Amino acid sequence: MAYAKLVDVTICTGCRGCMVACKNWNDLPVDTRDYQGSYQSHDKPNGKTWNVLQMKEYENQSGGFEWLFRHQACMHCEEAACVKVCPEVAITTTDMGNVVIDQEKCVGCTYCVQNCPFGIVELAEYVNADGEKAERAQKCDMCNDRIHEGLEPACAVTCPLDAIVFGTKEEMLELAKERLEEAKLTYPDAQIYDPPGVDGTNMIYLLAHPPEVYDLPPNPKVPTSAVVWKDYAQPLGKALLGVTTMAVFTGFITNKLFNKEGHGHDTEEGGEINEETKQ
Amino acid sequence: MKKQNSNESTVKRFSKAFIISHWVNAFAFFALYITALPLYTDFFNWLYPVFGGPEMARLLHRIFAVLFIVPLFLLIIFDFAGFKNWAKNILKWEKKDFQFLMAFPKEFFLGKSKVPKQDFFNAGEKLNSLLTIMCTLMLIGSGFVMWFPGAFASGVVQWAYPIHNIGFGLALAVVVGHIFLSIGHPNSKASMRGMTKGDVPISYAKEHHGVWYDEMVKKGEIKEEKDKSKGA
Ligand code: HEM
Ligand code: SF4
Repeated sequence: MAYAKLVDVTICTGCRGCMVACKNWNDLPVDTRDYQGSYQSHDKPNGKTWNVLQMKEYENQSGGFEWLFRHQACMHCEEAACVKVCPEVAITTTDMGNVVIDQEKCVGCTYCVQNCPFGIVELAEYVNADGEKAERAQKCDMCNDRIHEGLEPACAVTCPLDAIVFGTKEEMLELAKERLEEAKLTYPDAQIYDPPGVDGTNMIYLLAHPPEVYDLPPNPKVPTSAVVWKDYAQPLGKALLGVTTMAVFTGFITNKLFNKEGHGHDTEEGGEINEETKQ
Repeated sequence: MKKQNSNESTVKRFSKAFIISHWVNAFAFFALYITALPLYTDFFNWLYPVFGGPEMARLLHRIFAVLFIVPLFLLIIFDFAGFKNWAKNILKWEKKDFQFLMAFPKEFFLGKSKVPKQDFFNAGEKLNSLLTIMCTLMLIGSGFVMWFPGAFASGVVQWAYPIHNIGFGLALAVVVGHIFLSIGHPNSKASMRGMTKGDVPISYAKEHHGVWYDEMVKKGEIKEEKDKSKGA
């Protein structure tokens, strides 16, 4: 069954407890930044920092000032571009709907990085069991180990205001709708973000404003190029390879059968390669 | 098996520069092919350890990519005349070229057919050159973008992948055909000598590249050959 994380940005106060909890539980390395000109720490999630609290200063329609806080991490797309393009089958969707990367299989090709519609996946140093270091794709896995043991993701547990809630996707959508009613009273543009272009996500937002305001793509989808690449070009390429091989093979056989006497000069004056002439 | 006629007179076909360019390019192509196979499908993942790990395989792919491009410049610098002849020839498409292609399937499968006199490059070779150039452009263009994704917009990078992939599939199909016709198929074997030693028997030139042969005769570079009866 699909599980989901509901992030209600309308009640988030930007305490960044989720960021700390994530770093802590997932043992992520230090990832310092110089002052960026705002309260926001990192510009976006990356391989060492799997969730980043977006802090935006926003002027609403009536000219009032608003602080927008948004917990941003992997969206766990139902139809995930990264899963599609990974040549090593290193990225998979689990039975609970979360998308996880196996760094032991990853080779660091960055195909997933280039194709993520949300710009979430990035490479970061990974140390394997033998102590070998390599750049491997990393991102939020929705605390895969925790949720498969019946616990909530670290960020959801930590959030003091229940701005991050975890449960079945169905429950979360229900809850989102309930909260949307309330949120609409304050924010007329409030909406649920569960984009259909990627068949829905397993992290869904209750947003106070249209997605663009939060730099979210209004209609994210698996890139058409990725579909052409993996659903058409790749299988066709393999087939073409098979067909050419077959044609060559057939040509070889039919020549053996019907062209016994060869073609005069050619076969005889071919220089040293003649040694392997079959006649 | 008949002994080859070693004292048969020959005529120069390709320069050293042309031959070296061809083989360096061919070698690099295969090296690129092999080093990228595990990224093409995980069926070939056992190749990673052979190259010393995925990082090494990807580094080698880039090194061979450079080697893949160099021959073109070698050719232009050291045998511009040969390059020009090639470029001009493969772009020239006349009735005889299409007739050649029409007759080709019969020739390919049965080994016998009547075809009109051909240029320095026959229509098949022209087609092979054009397809190869097309695939090469696709592969180099997209490969460059994939090498330096940071320098391009994400839409461009995303489209580079399918283009590289399609270029790869097409190129391989073309190359398989090309190799078979040059070493596997009994009717084309003499042409291999042109790409190894640089010269071909005059009788071969006459039979397979009639237009070129006539030109050479007209220019007085070779003597008109008496029509010999078929050898075998
Ligand atoms: C000449 C310039 C070329 C350049 C600059 C280039 C570069 C690249 C790059 C950067 C990648 C991405 C993987 C990585 O990071 O290593 C790649 C993948 C690949 N290359 Fe090339 N390459 C070139 C030519 C070729 C040729 C001639 C072939 C085929 C014989 C080839 C076959 C492949 C394949 C099959 C992949 C995997 C892509 C996929 O899964 O769709 N490349 N290449
Ligand atoms: S970087 Fe790793 S996880 Fe991402 S597509 Fe490449 S092999 Fe797969």
